[in-house]
Amino acid sequence: MTTTIPVVPGAPLLTIENLTITFPTSAGPVDVVKDLSVHLDAHSTLGIVGESGSGKSMTSLAIMGLLPRGAQTSGSIRLNGHELLGQSDKQLRGIRGEKIAMVFQDPLSSLNPYYTVGLQIEEMYRAHRGGSRKAARAVVIDALDRVKIADAARRVDHYPHQFSGGMRQRIMIAMALCLEPELLIADEPTTALDVTVQAQILDLLAELKEETGSGMVFITHDLAVVSQVAEHLLVMKSGEVVERGPIEDVFSNPRAPYTRALLAALPRIDDPFENLKGVSV
Amino acid sequence: MSDTIVRPESILTARNLTKEFITRGDGAFSAKKNRFLAVNDVSFTVPTGQTLAVVGESGCGKSTTARLAAKLLEQTRGTLEFEGADVTRAGTRELASFRNNVQVVFQDPFSSLNPKHTIEQIISAPLEYQGIRPPQGKAALVRELLDRVGLNPDHAQRYPGQFSGGQAQRIGIARALAVKPKLVICDEAVSALDVSVQALVINLLRDLQKELGLSYIFIAHDLAVVRQIADTVAVMSRGKIVEHGSRDEIFTNPQNPYTRTLLAAVPRINPEWERRRLAADAAETRGVQA
Repeated sequence: MTTTIPVVPGAPLLTIENLTITFPTSAGPVDVVKDLSVHLDAHSTLGIVGESGSGKSMTSLAIMGLLPRGAQTSGSIRLNGHELLGQSDKQLRGIRGEKIAMVFQDPLSSLNPYYTVGLQIEEMYRAHRGGSRKAARAVVIDALDRVKIADAARRVDHYPHQFSGGMRQRIMIAMALCLEPELLIADEPTTALDVTVQAQILDLLAELKEETGSGMVFITHDLAVVSQVAEHLLVMKSGEVVERGPIEDVFSNPRAPYTRALLAALPRIDDPFENLKGVSV
Repeated sequence: MSDTIVRPESILTARNLTKEFITRGDGAFSAKKNRFLAVNDVSFTVPTGQTLAVVGESGCGKSTTARLAAKLLEQTRGTLEFEGADVTRAGTRELASFRNNVQVVFQDPFSSLNPKHTIEQIISAPLEYQGIRPPQGKAALVRELLDRVGLNPDHAQRYPGQFSGGQAQRIGIARALAVKPKLVICDEAVSALDVSVQALVINLLRDLQKELGLSYIFIAHDLAVVRQIADTVAVMSRGKIVEHGSRDEIFTNPQNPYTRTLLAAVPRINPEWERRRLAADAAETRGVQA
């Protein structure tokens, strides 16, 4: 079931134009994302940062075609120049996983506790590529190996609860990567993890991106994390992009009052608060 | 924060606190029992009017330590002293007096507030349990407390669902303050909040400490937050305190290898970007003033 998406020559990997996402509510329609435009090339990482209700996760779900029922969209989301908005579920199934994969915040709620991790990844792989279970299993073991799960050939038969939180997130990344997608969407992929494990997963994502050359959209509430992984940054607030630019520019010379306020409110591990205040006053 | 008044006496002292949980070994139906030391021989003191932060990763025993210190859990071994008096085996009356002095603020503001009770009912609940009748009247006290934590006193008849996460956490803090406690145990009290709201709640906790002379035990996994609020820090790993010292000792000169690993793993913004941003800010401020 390999999909054939025409690649428009010269088109960026991902193009979002004037994306608006609207939900009907009892108080009238609410725009959770307003007029968002951005593009992303292969080999690069776009960070989207914002607080709760900023619309960052809705943007990622829209790219995946996974918005909740009732959501209305307008504008355009194109992968290699090919329109994704308004595609049927059947068409999207060939794109999700195959061309675009996603890693979520909570690996435990994304894995079925009743099946071994191997079976779950195999099933996903065979749904897209077909082939024998045996062949799929070899692909899965290889994928687990790539995300540095030690003793992958044995661990493939273990259940989700037999892995730690960081290991489970590695499994989700293995699942996302085994079809070699061109675009990886990581929605708060390290938020639920301990800080030492977070560091390992961030390293792993950077390494894999280097290796595969895929593009990445990295969604987070954490300014320090995004400063390390992204090349470009969007700062979102209440559905709108309030600031955008190369990561270094946004952090060293933020223009939007909201970005400045966020940076001023962020506790720094190397700096007790009163010192920070002292500098800015 | 710390250097207002130096009062060396400690409000709470834990000695050799140990909590053992019994778990079933080898699967759900196994008869074999495993002993698990969630907290293993932990000793610490909370200096009066100061903040002890207990930090560590998930499963290190920091929340169990908080629960032992709040006497929400009974220790397997060890002793607990509050203002010099042994409260390890406190009876009903002593426990009531302990609860009057020690209150807890939890991580998730919504799951710790009854959605069907008004804010006034929620905040005054500890008074009911303690049988306290405030001289100014319950309603007036609730209004004072709401004002103190930065909420509108006129909202006392509203329900938790009508507030944002940051506001709900302020309600949780107001409730903890209702009985005029001396020690407040904050168990990941700002972890669930957005960064802009988190800063406001951290500032509120610091202001309250100054105004009311409160002592805090601040349980947290976020080391950057701990740097802002702690006077002393205890680093926990696998049920034990692996390092204990003043905030600056721990953050600028950590001795324990685990503490070093933990501090090194915290993501940081490129210091050069930070320097340029602050320089631009300062230049702009001067420009506005001139």
